[in-house]
Amino acid sequence: MNYRFFPAPIAGLTLISALLAPVAPYAARGEEVKQHIDVGKLPQQATLVDDVIVPVPSEVFGVLDKLGSPNWHDVLRSANSTPPGPRAETALLLGDVIAEGFIAVEAQEPEQVKKIGRTVLDLASALGVRKAVASRSSAIIEYADKKDWPNVRKELDEALTDVRNAMDELHDEDLAQLVSLGGWLRGTEALAQVVKRNYSKDSAGLLHQPALLDYFDKRISHMPPRLRNDATVVNIQKRLKEIRPLIGEADTDISQQSVDQIREIVHNLVITIAPANS
Amino acid sequence: MKAFPKFALALFCIALLLPTRGWATIDDALSFALEAADPYVKEGFTVREDYWGGDLPVKQQKAIVHQLFKGNEYWFWMGTDVENARISVHIYDSDGNLAEVEHWQKPHMAAARVVPKTTGSYYLIVEIEKSDRERTHWSLAYGFR
Repeated sequence: MNYRFFPAPIAGLTLISALLAPVAPYAARGEEVKQHIDVGKLPQQATLVDDVIVPVPSEVFGVLDKLGSPNWHDVLRSANSTPPGPRAETALLLGDVIAEGFIAVEAQEPEQVKKIGRTVLDLASALGVRKAVASRSSAIIEYADKKDWPNVRKELDEALTDVRNAMDELHDEDLAQLVSLGGWLRGTEALAQVVKRNYSKDSAGLLHQPALLDYFDKRISHMPPRLRNDATVVNIQKRLKEIRPLIGEADTDISQQSVDQIREIVHNLVITIAPANS
Repeated sequence: MKAFPKFALALFCIALLLPTRGWATIDDALSFALEAADPYVKEGFTVREDYWGGDLPVKQQKAIVHQLFKGNEYWFWMGTDVENARISVHIYDSDGNLAEVEHWQKPHMAAARVVPKTTGSYYLIVEIEKSDRERTHWSLAYGFR
């Protein structure tokens, strides 16, 4: 279970208030729901707005399933997945490999999925979180053997969660963010490639992810220098700023030209993280 | 002299109890959120194994930004362990307009469903509308299909 916990009070106060509080009857009728909120004033209304939920890859691939059947074999790539050494780059690569797993599932390539299951374990070992994903890796391989694609997808989603959770427990939250970022970049590259081949305003709209871009940019800025100054991370942050104007505002469509540019930028980042096998 | 060990033992027991109760409260809030989710799992919703939570005083809201994708349908389920609390979760689009298509509130639980009209950022606003506690633990889970 992965729990994102926002600041708690002193447990003693909770206990004391529980002991002293009078019992009030439950009122079934809720308050009237506001039809509009001023999002510009949210920091005053709310306690925090710095929490952004990064979607799991299944949420994106689920929509792509509904849009049609792209040729996923063309999107699938075979990359060098040897741990690169620096932990920041290994974390990015792990995210990339997990995202590749989703593409392999879409392409229904059991051998590729099994290979990815093993690679996830190798990379998790290099990052010190092998134990967290060992059972997921086995399950991915087992389900791939049975061609049980919904369960492979579920295990991949949960492998990503388990890795991030284990890193959080090791106080490696920043590294966990890089795993998410690596996955997001590969997922975005695949998405842009699919959209480019069969452009429609609806499918291009899937690339409209400003909160995620801002979130990753902000998280990188707050990372310790050893991670933030990694050459690959520096390059990613620079390129994220180039993508930002291309993903459009809420009510504007993302043009085919912008899709091409987004794909080009993320493709160049992805081959830096996971160079193609020669 | 004999009273001291008893007093010390009592303090020790309280010390052991306090953190346990804190976490148990969060887990209880989550179990109510997941209980709320249960009927929807049968309708084909995939519940994400990531949960969000904390504690809030009455009438104070918390906003969480979430990237939602057009083409998916989402349910957000909120739970609390506090018997008499009334909690709520609502979903607004990036312009601040209410985006949910339905919502409900029950003892220990609240939920909202959204079918995004566009892909983009949405605000989840969680609130403790009423509670007899100074701060009330809450937990949020979501599912999609």
